[in-house]
Amino acid sequence: MSLVITPAMLGQVIVSGLLAGSLYAMVALGLGLIFGVMRVLNVAHGPLLMLGAYVTFWLFSTVGLNPYLSLLVSMPLLYLLGMLLQRFLVYRVVDAPELSSLLLTFGVSIAVVNLAQLAFTSDLRAVEYLTGAFVLGPIAFSKSRLIACAIAVAITAAAFLFLQKTRLGKAIRAVSQSREVAQVCGINVGRIHGIAFGLASALAAAGGSLVAVMVAIQPEMGQVYTFKSFLVIVLGGAGNYPGALLGGVLLGLIEQLSSLFLTTQVNEAVAYILLVVVLLVRPTGLLGGRAS
Amino acid sequence: MAIMSWRLPATLAVAAVLCGALPALAQAPIRIGASLSLTGTYAKLGSYQKEGYELCAEDLNRKGGLLGRKVEFAVYDDQSTPATGVRLYEKLITEDKVDAVMGPYSSPITEAAANVTEKYKKVMVSPLAATTSIFKKGRKYIFMVISPAEVYLEGLVDMAAKRGLKTVAIVNEDTLFTKSAAIGTAEVARKLGMQVVLQEAYPKGHTDFSGLLTKIKAMNPDVIAAATYFDDAVAITRQMKELNVNPKMLGVTVGGDLPEFYDLLKQNAEYIYGATQWEGALPYPGQREFLEAYKRKFNREPVYHSASGYAGCLIYAEGVKRAGTLEADKVREQLLKLEMKTAFGDYKVDADGFQIAHKMVILQWQDGKKVTVWPDEVASGKARFPTPAWNQR
Repeated sequence: MSLVITPAMLGQVIVSGLLAGSLYAMVALGLGLIFGVMRVLNVAHGPLLMLGAYVTFWLFSTVGLNPYLSLLVSMPLLYLLGMLLQRFLVYRVVDAPELSSLLLTFGVSIAVVNLAQLAFTSDLRAVEYLTGAFVLGPIAFSKSRLIACAIAVAITAAAFLFLQKTRLGKAIRAVSQSREVAQVCGINVGRIHGIAFGLASALAAAGGSLVAVMVAIQPEMGQVYTFKSFLVIVLGGAGNYPGALLGGVLLGLIEQLSSLFLTTQVNEAVAYILLVVVLLVRPTGLLGGRAS
Repeated sequence: MAIMSWRLPATLAVAAVLCGALPALAQAPIRIGASLSLTGTYAKLGSYQKEGYELCAEDLNRKGGLLGRKVEFAVYDDQSTPATGVRLYEKLITEDKVDAVMGPYSSPITEAAANVTEKYKKVMVSPLAATTSIFKKGRKYIFMVISPAEVYLEGLVDMAAKRGLKTVAIVNEDTLFTKSAAIGTAEVARKLGMQVVLQEAYPKGHTDFSGLLTKIKAMNPDVIAAATYFDDAVAITRQMKELNVNPKMLGVTVGGDLPEFYDLLKQNAEYIYGATQWEGALPYPGQREFLEAYKRKFNREPVYHSASGYAGCLIYAEGVKRAGTLEADKVREQLLKLEMKTAFGDYKVDADGFQIAHKMVILQWQDGKKVTVWPDEVASGKARFPTPAWNQR
């Protein structure tokens, strides 16, 4: 059966891709932040997202808190956890070769997932909150995904403003550009590292709280976001924050478009092939690495 | 030697008389060994299977044991890993010298353990291995109890064809079990004269099905058959509603049979078809007794893993009874011939020990309850057909 792809179908798929992409961008920004500031690849980023999803689930199922309001709890909680992780574990590998940071965060990731399995069991959970879609002409906007996109865009914009405009944000960017010079200028690098790790974890938590409304929650749900985030920051340029946005949106679009034009099975392959091409043609990522 | 020649039969004769006279249980028990996943990924399911084995031993012993001997299980924990399973079956057979073995939990562990049991020519009834290939490698002593992945959605397609539906779209997660289920479904559909308009896999962990569903919507198939696990089943259903994809029937494999499926989707789960190996409500022989005994002993409702473990053990026992011995080749012969109805449904295997009689059941969510709608012989209600628009559910 030959399939004719109509403009409406294309429009639908692009909308879905953009909605998904905004979320990827926000989560990947966190991973990019840690890499930019510390040169640490945080494999535990996805599992931290999972913890955010559980915060939302528990608040929803015990006290009936609106899942979107639970962001106000999950983000500060994970900010704290992120800071603690940095303070007690990650600081050891900041100047070590990148393999050490991979090994350490990989260990943290396994520990977090297994502790979650112990504490929450592997039972699948879900937050049944918003279903259905707003329909605009031939195109449907999933309610939960549309709201998630709006919140993700707002949080990402806030994170950017913070990095661009505030003193602390400038300090973070300074450390990410050159740690030594920043230190010479009187910036407490250790403190900045802690804050950056906390912020990144809060971004992961926000992602978790938002996807909690869309997908089933279980301890192993996070890993896939670690991989997607890696893909996004390498596509956009590791350490380049606007690059993470571009990469996120691109990944969302690639996934849905390859599903429509090719098959769903290959959408990861398409994303990784694009990654290889980008690395061959522009090894620093689409927007170049390390800028800020 | 001349003396021996009459003494041995005489001793045996005396022994036989004694056995008949003494209470059966005075003899050494028959020890059945198994490794089960009691910790690790499959911990929960493995322990359900263990409960099935225990209940079966209890049942047999209450009825005088097997070959006049008491039955006992020797169970080790394989920590959900095939390598440990292999080691434990080796130990059970060579060190512990158990009289018989039963299968472990899951296809991967059964696949690995079967190499050991075949080597030592031990019959192994494997109640929780659903992968066809395990039984199609020329192994002689392994027997299957549950339905293979390929027939999970046979009922869905059968019902669709009987209602005159013509087209089906099949999607599946790109992993072993779901892939087999999708391939099997496509085969059945073609055999029944339906047209498979799309057959497409998606990667494990996929959460956004917009592209795939947009494509399916444009093809407008009568039926969507989704070979899923739980979370993708939920995600697909939710996005079908969002994108208003509305086939006359939607069926999923794993996930649709769980109470959580309805808890999560509420009225959006209505009219959706699920597939399951077994339900407590099915009118199988011995079902009531099994349910009661299980609830008495474990204080909750059994799931299919327990029922299959229980039935698998009874099937092995029946083979032994008919053979009149524990000798593997004779038991094997009987198990190949055996046709049996248990609380888990029908048992009959082909020459490879591959299950051909056990039927999957198809259920449909109706007013928050699972109603068995296929096969007709065991159906507890009629399918609500066709599925109405999303806003009328």
